[in-house]
Amino acid sequence: MNGPLIVQSDKTLLLEVDHELADAARRAIAPFAELERAPEHIHTYRVTPLGLWNARAAGHDAEQVVDALVEYSRYPVPHALLVDVAETMARYGRLTLSKHPVHGLVLTTTDRPVLEEILRSKRITPLVGARIDADTVAVHPSERGQIKQTLLKLGWPAEDLAGYVDGEAHPIDLAEDGWSLRPYQRQAVEGFWHGGSGVVVLPCGAGKTLVGAGAMAQAKATTLILVTNTVSARQWKHELVRRTSLTEDEIGEYSGTRKEIRPVTIATYQVLTTKRKGIYPHLELFDSRDWGLIVYDEVHLLPAPVFKFTADLQARRRLGLTATLVREDGRESDVFSLIGPKRFDAPWKEIEAQGYIAPADCVEVRVNLTESERLAYATAETEEKYRFCATTATKRKVTEALVRRHKGEQTLVIGQYIDQLDELGAHLDAPVIKGETSNAQREKLFDAFRQGEISVLVVSKVANFSIDLPEATVAIQVSGTFGSRQEEAQRLGRVLRPKADGHEARFYSVVARDTIDQDFAAHRQRFLAEQGYAYRIMDADELLAGEGDRSDG
Amino acid sequence: MPEASTTGSAAPRSLAEALRARDDAALVALLRARPDLLNPVPGDLTQLATRAGTRASVVRALDHLDRFALQTAEALAVAPDPCDVTTLETLLTGTRPAPAVGPADSTGAGAKAGAGAERTGGAAAPGDGAGPAGGEGPARGEGEGPAGGEAAGEGAFGSELVAEVRRALPGALATLRDQAVVWGDDRTLRLVRTARELLAPSPSRPSPTGLGPTVAEATAGMSPTRIQEIVAAAGLPATHDPVSAVAALTGLFTDPDRMSALLAQAPPEAHHVLARLVWGPPYGEVTPEPTAPVRWLRDRGLLLPASARTLVLPREVALHLRGGRAHRRIEPLAPPVVAAHTHRPEQVDANSAGQALAAVATVEELVGSWDQGGPPVLRAGGLSVRDLKRTAVALDVAEPVAAFWIELAYAAGLLASDGEADERYAPTPAYDDWVEAPPAQRWARLATAWLPATRTSGVVGEQDAKGRTLSALGPDLDRSAAPEVRRRVLELLAELPPGGAAETGSLLERLAWERPLRGTSELRARLARWTLAEAELLGVTGRGALAGVGRALLAGTDPAPLLAPLLPEPVDHVLLQADLTAVAPGPLRRPLAETLAVLADVESKGGATVYRFTPASVRRALDAGQAASDLHDFLAAHSITPVPQPLSYLIDDVARRHGHLRVGAASSYVRCDDDSVLGEILADKRSAGLGLRRLAPTVLAATVEPPALLDGLRAMGYAPAAESHTGDVLITRAGARRTPQRTPPVPVPEGPPVPDTTLLAAAVRAIRAGDVAATAVRREPAAAGAAAGAPAPGELPRTSAAETLATVQAAALTGSAVWIGYVNAEGAASQRVIAPVRVEGGFVTGYDHTADEVRTYALHRITGVAELAEDHL
Repeated sequence: MNGPLIVQSDKTLLLEVDHELADAARRAIAPFAELERAPEHIHTYRVTPLGLWNARAAGHDAEQVVDALVEYSRYPVPHALLVDVAETMARYGRLTLSKHPVHGLVLTTTDRPVLEEILRSKRITPLVGARIDADTVAVHPSERGQIKQTLLKLGWPAEDLAGYVDGEAHPIDLAEDGWSLRPYQRQAVEGFWHGGSGVVVLPCGAGKTLVGAGAMAQAKATTLILVTNTVSARQWKHELVRRTSLTEDEIGEYSGTRKEIRPVTIATYQVLTTKRKGIYPHLELFDSRDWGLIVYDEVHLLPAPVFKFTADLQARRRLGLTATLVREDGRESDVFSLIGPKRFDAPWKEIEAQGYIAPADCVEVRVNLTESERLAYATAETEEKYRFCATTATKRKVTEALVRRHKGEQTLVIGQYIDQLDELGAHLDAPVIKGETSNAQREKLFDAFRQGEISVLVVSKVANFSIDLPEATVAIQVSGTFGSRQEEAQRLGRVLRPKADGHEARFYSVVARDTIDQDFAAHRQRFLAEQGYAYRIMDADELLAGEGDRSDG
Repeated sequence: MPEASTTGSAAPRSLAEALRARDDAALVALLRARPDLLNPVPGDLTQLATRAGTRASVVRALDHLDRFALQTAEALAVAPDPCDVTTLETLLTGTRPAPAVGPADSTGAGAKAGAGAERTGGAAAPGDGAGPAGGEGPARGEGEGPAGGEAAGEGAFGSELVAEVRRALPGALATLRDQAVVWGDDRTLRLVRTARELLAPSPSRPSPTGLGPTVAEATAGMSPTRIQEIVAAAGLPATHDPVSAVAALTGLFTDPDRMSALLAQAPPEAHHVLARLVWGPPYGEVTPEPTAPVRWLRDRGLLLPASARTLVLPREVALHLRGGRAHRRIEPLAPPVVAAHTHRPEQVDANSAGQALAAVATVEELVGSWDQGGPPVLRAGGLSVRDLKRTAVALDVAEPVAAFWIELAYAAGLLASDGEADERYAPTPAYDDWVEAPPAQRWARLATAWLPATRTSGVVGEQDAKGRTLSALGPDLDRSAAPEVRRRVLELLAELPPGGAAETGSLLERLAWERPLRGTSELRARLARWTLAEAELLGVTGRGALAGVGRALLAGTDPAPLLAPLLPEPVDHVLLQADLTAVAPGPLRRPLAETLAVLADVESKGGATVYRFTPASVRRALDAGQAASDLHDFLAAHSITPVPQPLSYLIDDVARRHGHLRVGAASSYVRCDDDSVLGEILADKRSAGLGLRRLAPTVLAATVEPPALLDGLRAMGYAPAAESHTGDVLITRAGARRTPQRTPPVPVPEGPPVPDTTLLAAAVRAIRAGDVAATAVRREPAAAGAAAGAPAPGELPRTSAAETLATVQAAALTGSAVWIGYVNAEGAASQRVIAPVRVEGGFVTGYDHTADEVRTYALHRITGVAELAEDHL
């Protein structure tokens, strides 16, 4: 009765991290419980059906789960919860998808009433073919993803044993000269490969690209990589050339400007989801080669049409990469059924403790609106309110002060509104990268920033993802996409690459006090706060006053 | 032995006599088993016997019999009246005793001898004594074809079963006798007439045994000619007397050998017909022109007409085909309750404690959430379906479970309707006390309310006979069998080895055996299922096994001391985290929990509680009168971790803006550009009653209505003008809502409560005394001439005044009791048995055995007195 774990009736698990058995307990519950919050003292895990099925898919059984809960629990575990765990886990694997030598893809059951129940569902009927015997029904091979998705929604997740096609072979090796995969990256690759398909969750800056490269080296097959934008595509290419045996010629870019299809092809979500006359002309890219592996970068951003198409690609290995499996649209279960279960997850603070990402100091700078601004804010239209307070002039002063304070450090100023960014760029005398900046120009500026030729860069949300700027140590966020939690995490990720001198990164979020900006900021910070990043709050007046003292002194 | 059928002085002739022969302990046992007989206390044993024979009472008594006792009673109902124990045993086990011919009770000695032989011979081994019976088995099997074969195949009971029946029979008979359903000794067992009527077959209702009427009953209305035909067809000598014809037919049907011979001639289809009817129902419909096999049977009286279109299989024939058995299956032993799992008792207790804590928390959450006035009461009473759904969602449980918690809180007297005009449910004042008690005691209160409650939440959502949906807290939820079933289920669990969780099927089977009557068994099974689920929810059981607290509850001792050490110690600290949450790693001490509940929102509950601080929650705390510094101090004092900066900021931020705007209530105001005038008004003593307050230099607010304010100011000599008002704001803080004092619902038990020993003893004494008074055998009055004669029983004694005085005085001296006739002031005559203590002033004071108290009687109202026979008190 003195374990580190408290099992709550709402199926959350509270883990006291300072307890001597905390590590053992964490290892015991990690397979089935999702880490929900990891602040300093008590971590919260949640037991969800998805998590339990994940555990089943990874070969754990209900007995192990119950034992883990009972063993480490401080208080008696509610009986109902244990029963529920056992019942939920028992639902997985009653149905299996497998290859039949004669009938092709079939759905088999070990529990006939379940099959009867699901076959009566209107959503399943169009996906299945003839009934082969009492326990088996044929499934149209093209509906493999669809049926998995639907079965999950019906609460009877199918175990997919139908295997994968190998795809067109292509030699790929890691060129580990003077570097090697970090232990957690190797674990992630192994976890993925062992499971066949799935998602790897790693913090920004923890080297997700290398996990992708590692997976490709395992697959040794033609690979399709889906990324968020062109800059990111170029970085993937650069990184792959550097880290693997692949040459530039073997890697194609499929984007708005170039349409190359090579053994390894990097495509952007944007081009795939371009719609002409009601059809997606570029989705045939998926069929253009016999891909052996498909990598989804930033899987939390996967657009709906790609989901739909991914459903048809169930015979190919799929790897999803993300920093935060938080989807603001709540489609985590689609990621589970279509890409695969979560195969690897590491709390940010753990990676930080291992020294692979820089420690970060997060500061929320609160800015007071002036009296006239407050009046203007109060009378602004509802839809204009956020823009108004997010772009208030006071923020500019504070930003300038912050930039001055970190003079000599590589600083990124990140914002949402172009006007605001242009103005900031002008005042800070720094180049601005925004949507209309050409890719060539972007690459050039990023290069200059990496080389240290420019120390301040003002960027719009185009730089939210996958821009590798290892030298950035200070990020100042002046405005954002409302309350997006994952955007905040991605932006913090910009400065988390470990620094050469090991010093800590700084992340400032400039927020207008007593406005909707502050509410959004609170929401945005929630994910990071739950990952253990404690925000400090600072008054702009203090900052400006300090500034005054310094200039005086 | 023959005195069994003759009138001997020892054998009771009626139930009343049988009761009279019982000792007090037996009477107490009877009254305990059938407490309805005590309402009101019967005057004497004759009355008691009459009441014990009434239909309602007998139905109740039969209802309480276990399956074997009931089967025994059923067998008695189809047996001759009276019946001896051997015949009864034969009916139950089916082995024919050697001299089975003729009515068994007419030859008591023979029957006894047969019984003895049977015991030695047994059912399986044909010994010497049981020779004829043993030899008959195979012959019958051959001769009867399919029907006989089936009857035999239907389980000629194994010798083990037969032995069990024999062992169990005396017990079952004792139960039946105790309950006064059966009386008479083993040679003359008699079923109370009402019970016989209830259990014996009648044309409208076949008996539970599936046996039809006897030949004599079935032929009662038949024409003598028809009977002659049957007798002739059956191959019996003709007789003109219908009575002897019926007797001859009965004789034939009860003679196995002749019966077998008769049936051997039957066409094969006839056997099929018989096979269909043999185990009941014994009635078959026929066309006016029946088929040949049916005709064959009908002609020989093997089927007798019951009405124009139905034929019935007479009881004797059916018994023959059944091998003499009244029941197809006999269950002399209670089926054992099987343990499905056995857990370690500590584990069971731990689980139950966890569940107990959850139960207390759930009830607190439920009732607490109705703190400001709960859902409205439906006009028909109860909670609307929507409110139940809402509560279920709020508690995060299924609706039936929510209904259970609501009913539990109601049964424990923690919530009730407030009785206002728009009636709502609200916590009772008792809830405030309950909430302050230690958790173990709170649980004990819930559990002790649950065990005897007759309201059952299980039926919520179902429809009653009139198609109305039964609602939680509504009417008609009482199921009087609930407490008994609940207790019984727990008792059966308690009988398992410690930590044993019962296999539900075996438990239900056992319950069905104990109370087999059809009308109630379905409800009882459901009640048992609910009991298991509820006990688990409440923590009376843990993982299906009865916990220590459950045993205490069952034994009627306070479970709280057992539970208390198993519950987690309350903690007095929380862990504050930078994500604006606080975690209490265990149950919090009450004051702390209350403050935190105001200051932060509860996010997750269970062993620990997770709180989240939001601007709204902090504002709530400030509204409740806390200052920002109080909150900082509170957090610093109770957090074992440093207060994170964002939290301090949050509090300061909210506090900074809190109270910036002030809102208050005023009924009227005074406005004046000249602030010195307002100052004057305020200073004036006469304005004190107006409740004036200065809001600004030129504005006064008043608590009185504008007309009163106007009047007041005019009275002070001013000339104010009324302003057209713009509606004033009235804000009242909602007070916690409580019902008036409420008592929890009183369980509606099945029948009257079982009286305690003192009451029973007193009742028996009173009945006894009344009985003595009514039936006392009196000595001849000492000096009464032969002319007076002894008064007939029931008549008032008559003696002269002098005799009366002398007898009474003598009795007072010797301390003996006398029997008096007494006419009271209203002229009503009664008989009483009194033990005179003193005689003076024309009054006799004595202990009245009839009334069971000391009373005084006027001598001149005593019509006569008689001494009592010695053995009567």
